[in-house]
Amino acid sequence: MPARSEGEFIDALRRGHPELIEGAEVLRAKRVSVVAKREGVLELARALRDEYGFTHPVSAGAVDYVKEGRMQMIYYLMNPDSRFMLMLRVDLPRDDPRMLSMTQIWEAMSFHEREAWEMFGIDFEGHPNLMHLLLPPDWRGGYPLRKDFKGEGISP
Amino acid sequence: MDVVTLLWLYILSLVRWLLREAPGLVLDLLKGLPGWLWDFVWFNFKPLLQIIVMPGLAFILLFAMIAVWFERKFLARAMLRIGPFYCGKRSGWLQVIADFLKLFFKEFVIPEDAERMLFLASPILLPTIPALAITLIPFDRNWVLFDAGGLSLPVFLVIAGLAPIIPIFAGWAANNKYTIIGSFRTAYLYISGEIPLVVCAAASALLAGSLDLVDIVEAQRPLWFAVPQIVGFLVFFVGLILEAERTPFDVPTAETELVMGWRTEFSGILFGFTMMAEYVSFLGWTLLFITLYLGGYMGPSLFGVPLYDHVLWMLLKLTVIVVVIVLIRTVYPRLRLDQTLRLGWNYLMPLALLNLFITIALKLWGLMP
Amino acid sequence: MREAEVKPEVMRISWGPQHPMSGQTRILIDVDGEVVRRIIADIGFTHRGIEKILERRTFLQGIVPIERMVMVDTANVALAYVQAVEEALGIEVPERAKWIRSLICEMGRINSHLYAFGLQVECTGYFPAVFLWTTVDREVLLDLFEKLTGARWSYSFFIPGGVRADLPEGFRDEIREAVRYLRRRFQDYWDAMVENPLFEIRNRGVGVLSREDAIRLGATGPVLRGSGVDMDVRRDEPYAAYGDLDFKVVTEREGDCFARLKVRYHEIGQSLNMMEQIADEIPGGPVRMKVPLFPRSKRDVEALSRVETSRGELGVHIFTDGGLKPYRVRINSPTLRNMYVFERLAELDRVLVADLPVVLYSIDPWYLDCDR
Repeated sequence: MPARSEGEFIDALRRGHPELIEGAEVLRAKRVSVVAKREGVLELARALRDEYGFTHPVSAGAVDYVKEGRMQMIYYLMNPDSRFMLMLRVDLPRDDPRMLSMTQIWEAMSFHEREAWEMFGIDFEGHPNLMHLLLPPDWRGGYPLRKDFKGEGISP
Repeated sequence: MDVVTLLWLYILSLVRWLLREAPGLVLDLLKGLPGWLWDFVWFNFKPLLQIIVMPGLAFILLFAMIAVWFERKFLARAMLRIGPFYCGKRSGWLQVIADFLKLFFKEFVIPEDAERMLFLASPILLPTIPALAITLIPFDRNWVLFDAGGLSLPVFLVIAGLAPIIPIFAGWAANNKYTIIGSFRTAYLYISGEIPLVVCAAASALLAGSLDLVDIVEAQRPLWFAVPQIVGFLVFFVGLILEAERTPFDVPTAETELVMGWRTEFSGILFGFTMMAEYVSFLGWTLLFITLYLGGYMGPSLFGVPLYDHVLWMLLKLTVIVVVIVLIRTVYPRLRLDQTLRLGWNYLMPLALLNLFITIALKLWGLMP
Repeated sequence: MREAEVKPEVMRISWGPQHPMSGQTRILIDVDGEVVRRIIADIGFTHRGIEKILERRTFLQGIVPIERMVMVDTANVALAYVQAVEEALGIEVPERAKWIRSLICEMGRINSHLYAFGLQVECTGYFPAVFLWTTVDREVLLDLFEKLTGARWSYSFFIPGGVRADLPEGFRDEIREAVRYLRRRFQDYWDAMVENPLFEIRNRGVGVLSREDAIRLGATGPVLRGSGVDMDVRRDEPYAAYGDLDFKVVTEREGDCFARLKVRYHEIGQSLNMMEQIADEIPGGPVRMKVPLFPRSKRDVEALSRVETSRGELGVHIFTDGGLKPYRVRINSPTLRNMYVFERLAELDRVLVADLPVVLYSIDPWYLDCDR
C-alpha cells in the first residue's frame, strides 16, 4: 500500500523488513535514504518494488570511500505514485566489491551497473551482459573513478 | 510604337531568321570538312543531330544540369538558405559544373570484396538505359530518333523496365549490407510502381487506337488525354515520381536510414553517374507522361516552323512538370517501404484498372473517337 | 563492446558512428529483411570522464566542464550542478536570481526542443525545410542569450549564490517580442508538419512505449510524458522559481513517436508562457549573494539536485569531504536512461529499418550527455 508521508514509509519499512536494512532516514521532503545489508539486498529490492511501489528506476552510481576501505553503491529509485525518491545504498568492502545484480528487479539498471562495473570494479553477480559501456572494449587501465586511480595504462 | 518595342520585334525576327536558317548555316560550315566525313555527315545529318543535340546527349546533360541547379536553388529558398552562391555569382549556376569536375577528377574507390566488373559497369549502364528509352519519344512527327515501327510505346516500357535491374546488380556487386537492403528496396519499389504505369499506358494506347507514340500524340489533337483519363493522369503522375525515386518515394536511397542505399559504395565519377541516372530516368518518364496525357509536342504555333514549335512546347511542358515535382520534394517527408508498397498495390493499381475500364467504356459507347 | 552472437537468420548492421544520422554513437541492429529484431546501443564514443574531472576542480571551476555535457541546453545542466553545490555548502539564493534562472532554463528548453523537433522531422526524410527553419528561429533565443550573458552557447551564467548579472535595460520587452515571434513561427510548424498527413503516418504508431513499460524501463522526460506518465521535476519538487510559475505538465497517451513530438511541441508553448510570465512578474532585489571564490565544504555532506532538463530528469549528486573540491560527483543523465528504452523498443514494438532514425531521434539523444 502506498505510504502517505516519508515518515510513514520509513516506519513501515522498519517494521516490515528489519532484518534487511541497516538504516533508513528521511533526507528532506520526498527524499528517502535506505541502507541495505549486502546479503539481503535482492529481497529488499523486491519488496521495495512490489510492496512499496518503487517501480521506476532512475539511476545507479557508486562512491569510493578509500580511507574507510568501503565502497557504496547507490540506487536511485522513484515511486511514480507518491513521487518519493529513494536512495538504496549498499556498502561493499573495498577489497571484495561484489553484490547481486539488481537487473532482475529493475531491468533498466543494466547500463548503470555496467558503468559501475567498469568505473569502480564492482562485480555484479547475475548481470546478463557485464561488459564495457563507456570505456573502450580493450580498456586495461584500471578503474577510473576509484579514488586511488592515477591514470596508469592510459595511452596518450 | 516606341523604340523598345521595335527593338524587341527586331530581335525576335532575327531569332526567327536564325532558327529558320540554322540548318543551312551548319551545313555550310560542315562543307569545309574532308570529303568522306562530309559524306557521312550529309547522309546521316538528321540522326546525328538527334543523337548529339535534341533528344540526345546535349539535351539530357543540359536537363540534368539545369534540374540540379534549379533543385538546389529552389530547395534553398524553402529552407531559408540561399544555396550555391560563390561559383557563378549569385545564381550559382557554375556550381553544377564545378561539382561535376570535382567528381570527375576524384579518386573512386572499389571495395576489396566487390564484384569488380559489375561494380564498374553498373554506374555506366545506369544512365544509359533510361537514355535509350528517351530516343523513342517523338519531338515532332518527323523528329523521332528511334522509329520502332509503330511499337514505340511497348518498346519504351520494355527498355524502361530493364532499368531497375541495374541498381539491384549494383547493390549486390558492392557487397555491402546497406547496398543490399537498398537494392532489394529498389526491386520492391519498381514492381509496385511499374505495373500501374503499364496499365495506364495501355489505356492511353487504347484510346488512341495505336501503340505508336506519334499516333497517340496526334490522337490528342482535339482533346488532351488528361481530360478523359483524369484518373490515369493522376496515377501516372504518382507512379512517375515513384519510378524516378523522387522524394516521397526515395526509399532505396533513404539517406537517414541506409546512408545512400544501393549507391553507398560508389564514389567519384561513379557516384556522379548514379546521380545522373536519377535525372535521366526522371526525364524519360516525364517525357512519356507528357506524350501520353498532355498532348506531347502539340501546342499553338510560335515560330511558324512546326519543328521548333513542337520542341519548344515539349520543353515548356517538361519545365512545368519538373517544377511541380521539385515542389513536392520541399513539402513531403519520405514514406516507408511498406507504405509505398501499400500505395502502389492498394491504391495505384485498382485506380489504374478503373481507368482502363473507363477508357474501354468510352471507346465502346463511342464517346471518344 | 564485445559483439554478441548473431543468429543465422538475421543480418547485423553497424549503424554508425560513420552514418549520416547516427551521431556519435554506434548502434548495432539485427535486421530480418526490413524488420529490426534487436537493437544494441554501443555508447561511449564521447566519454570524457566529466565525473572524474569534476573531482579535480573547485566548486566554482566545475561549472565549466559540466556545461560541456549538453551544449544545446547548458542552462539546465549548469543549474543542476550549481543547485547541488548551493545545497552542499548551504548557500542561499535571492529571489530575483531564481526567477532569472528559470527564465534562462526555459529559453534553453525551447532551444533544445527546437533542435530535437527539427531532427526528428529531418530523419523522416522531410529533409529540407523544418530543420533549417528551427535552426534559423533559434537565433532569436541565441541573441537574447548573448545580450543577457555575453555568450550564445555555454554561458556559465549561474554561479553559487545567484546569477552573474542582472537583466539588461529593456530586456523584458525583448523577451515579449521574441515570444510573439516564436508563437507565430510555431503555428507555421504545426501547419507544415504536424498536420502534414505523410509526416503523421511516418510517426503515428511507431515505436510505441506503453505506460507500464515507460515506468519499468526508467524512461524520462518527454519520452515518459509521451507515454502518459505525469511526472515532471519542475512540479514535483519545485526548484528555482517554478513554485511560483503557472505551467501545465504536458502529457500524451499514445506513447509513439508522434506523441513525443507533440509533447515537445506543447512544452515549447508552456515555456513561452512562462517566459512571458517571468517578464511580467519578476520580483526586484539583488541577483547575487556574496560567496567566497573558493568555498570550503563541510565534512561528509551530500546533496542531490534534480532538474528537469529538456531531455528529462538530470540529477547531480555531490559528496563532500571538507575540502575545496567535491569528493565525488554522480551525474544521473537522462539520455542514458532513454537509450536503454531505445534498446528495448525493438522487442516491445515492431520497428522497421526505416523507423529506426525516427525512433532514435524521438527520444532526443544527446550522446555527450549519455556518455558524460
